[in-house]
Amino acid sequence: MTTKKSALWSFFSSVQLAVVLLSLIAFFAVIGTLVPQREAAVELAGRLSPGMFSFLDKMQIFDLYHSIWFFLLMILLAVNLIVCSLDRFPMAWRRFRLRPVTSDENVYKNLPEENNFQTTLESFRVKAVVADLLKKRFRRFESDDERGSSFFYAEKGRFSLFGVYIVHLSILVLIAGALIGFFSGLEGYVNIIEGRTVNALNLRNGNETLNLPFDVRCDKFSIEFYENGAPKSYQSDLTFLRNNQVISSGKLRVNHPLELEGFRFYQASYGASPEIKATLTVLKNGKKTMDKTIGLGEIFNLPGGEAVQVIRVEENLMRMGPAVKLVVRGAQEEAAFWVFQQIDKIREMNPGMVEQVPMFNPGSFRPYLFVLTGVEEKYYTGLQITRDPGTPVVFAAAVLLICGLMLVLFSYFRQIWIRIDEEKDRSKITIAGRSYKNREGLEREVRYLLAELKNNLEHSK
Amino acid sequence: MMDTTILSWVTFIYFAAFVFYLFRIILGREFWGKLATGTALAGLAAQSVALIIRWKTSYDLGIGHAPLSNFYESLIFFAWAIVLLYLLMEWRLKNRSIGAFVLPVAFLLMAYASIAPGINNRIEPLIPALQSNWLTSHVLTCFMGYASFTVAFALGIMFFLKKDTNAESTNPGVFARLLPSEFLVDELIYSSVALGFIFLSLGIITGSVWAHYAWGSYWSWDPKETWSLITWLVYAVMLHTRLVRGWRGKRMAILAVVGFGCVLFTYLGVNLLPSLHSYMT
Repeated sequence: MTTKKSALWSFFSSVQLAVVLLSLIAFFAVIGTLVPQREAAVELAGRLSPGMFSFLDKMQIFDLYHSIWFFLLMILLAVNLIVCSLDRFPMAWRRFRLRPVTSDENVYKNLPEENNFQTTLESFRVKAVVADLLKKRFRRFESDDERGSSFFYAEKGRFSLFGVYIVHLSILVLIAGALIGFFSGLEGYVNIIEGRTVNALNLRNGNETLNLPFDVRCDKFSIEFYENGAPKSYQSDLTFLRNNQVISSGKLRVNHPLELEGFRFYQASYGASPEIKATLTVLKNGKKTMDKTIGLGEIFNLPGGEAVQVIRVEENLMRMGPAVKLVVRGAQEEAAFWVFQQIDKIREMNPGMVEQVPMFNPGSFRPYLFVLTGVEEKYYTGLQITRDPGTPVVFAAAVLLICGLMLVLFSYFRQIWIRIDEEKDRSKITIAGRSYKNREGLEREVRYLLAELKNNLEHSK
Repeated sequence: MMDTTILSWVTFIYFAAFVFYLFRIILGREFWGKLATGTALAGLAAQSVALIIRWKTSYDLGIGHAPLSNFYESLIFFAWAIVLLYLLMEWRLKNRSIGAFVLPVAFLLMAYASIAPGINNRIEPLIPALQSNWLTSHVLTCFMGYASFTVAFALGIMFFLKKDTNAESTNPGVFARLLPSEFLVDELIYSSVALGFIFLSLGIITGSVWAHYAWGSYWSWDPKETWSLITWLVYAVMLHTRLVRGWRGKRMAILAVVGFGCVLFTYLGVNLLPSLHSYMT
């Protein structure tokens, strides 16, 4: 230790500060789950006075996790981690570099009486037993013969000295990754009706939109249901274009995002679009002349030049199934009538009705007869789009964190010295150990080694 | 529905095991201890069989998935993990006294799963968001973590009981003598929390990898995510105070109880808040 550390350094290197900061982060996190955040905060606006609401809003209480307070806590935590690690790492490094001396006499000083015992076995036998045990327990060991005594040394978990610094580094990397995401990432969403193309998305925070460097077209949306009515799977067939040239395409499913140029696309939701289409077959004098799929309000021409417009599309009209209302305009005459898909069933149930009420007669405009073969509701697909260059950094931090935690919690740097002193017809065996943390574990280890040695020596007689 | 029948029997088996562990402590005879261990083992075996049957049944129904997909299944797995961890601990320590504190938690979870209204015990197909290989690893690690913290909580309660009985008389009764020493309880609290901390970290990480694939972001400050972070922070504080400040005994026991409160809120309380994790049917 060179100089006395400054008060500021001690403050930032203290574990008390770490405990306070971790508790504060936890406290803020609790508040954030109790006070509605972001969009959800709007409901509070009605219940609080306007002054109160705008004050809380200015204090960023409604976006706590992205607030200046949370940011400051993160910065303080980062400084705390850096300073405390810089403060303690040199010591850990010295301990790591310190090469133990196998025949070190100092380690045997001040040992309790029960750390040694005597045996009448020949010393070469004793040495073999000690070597066997150390090999079994520590895999490798060193030995040395000096001044009529034999010395053994074994260790494990030397790298666990770095465990805590790896954990701290992982948290710093995590904060860095989160900051990268905060400053250069984006999160948006867009709904695309089947068949449509979009090239802008709505950003999650604020009402801004962002133009993508390419166009996205939803060619088809499909959904399957279980028998109980719950959705089984849904997917969007997407095509990505630039200047009307296809650059990529793929099927987007839940849990299987697509990635293009740093943007990741997720299947987030779906819904029925206001757009609905009808498929019609037109017969002229009883002979089929054309098929047409047509949307609401659209117009098409019959072979004779007459214009047909779809003015209503209903999935279930008066509980008689799908129906469309058409207006047909010829040169002289005009007719408006409903075309039901289940016309045969309606005829059966209400004999004569179709013929008597022109409004319900699909053959009202002679000589044509209109048959509705289907009403198809269109879906829109809800896509979530994100770009977060910080993600790989965050996952690297996660790997570091687990490695570091394993070292901190389940590995200990443990050193064991054993010496065998020959005294006339007997040998004295002494065991010493050193551990920088988990002294109890070291004591257990020494007790175990003593018991095993006594037992093994007994058996080798 | 053979699996649910077996599982409702397991509930009673765990209750019996709890009673036998209690007899052992009160009567001080090891006979009850052996009976308790045997009963708990039988319960665990029966529960494992029920889980396997449930798993297999889901494949027979053509909707195959691990039995970890709804609230009922999570309660059952939680209880299973607790008993498994406890029996491993009993076997390693050769000490049966913790059972009287751990088994009632497993029993309560099982009872809640079978009795509470509105809990659906049918095998349901998975909605698209849950159709992921990450489901099993995420739920498995989280609940192993929860189970370790539950054992730490039971040890914390035991620590206070032991302290109380010790303080009351100079000549502690059989009750206090059969409980492990305060020193050992403290060590065990630390070991359980250390194990739970690794599992919770893995649970949060597998969860965020999954969220990265399913929701488009590794972290969305969803209440369940946030509460798992709060729990993680509480145990992080606990480990710091112990490893650096040398806190022991009573303070560790208090933190083990507080931490378990956070675990419970993460598991159950969060459902009172709007959440993406709302699979509680």
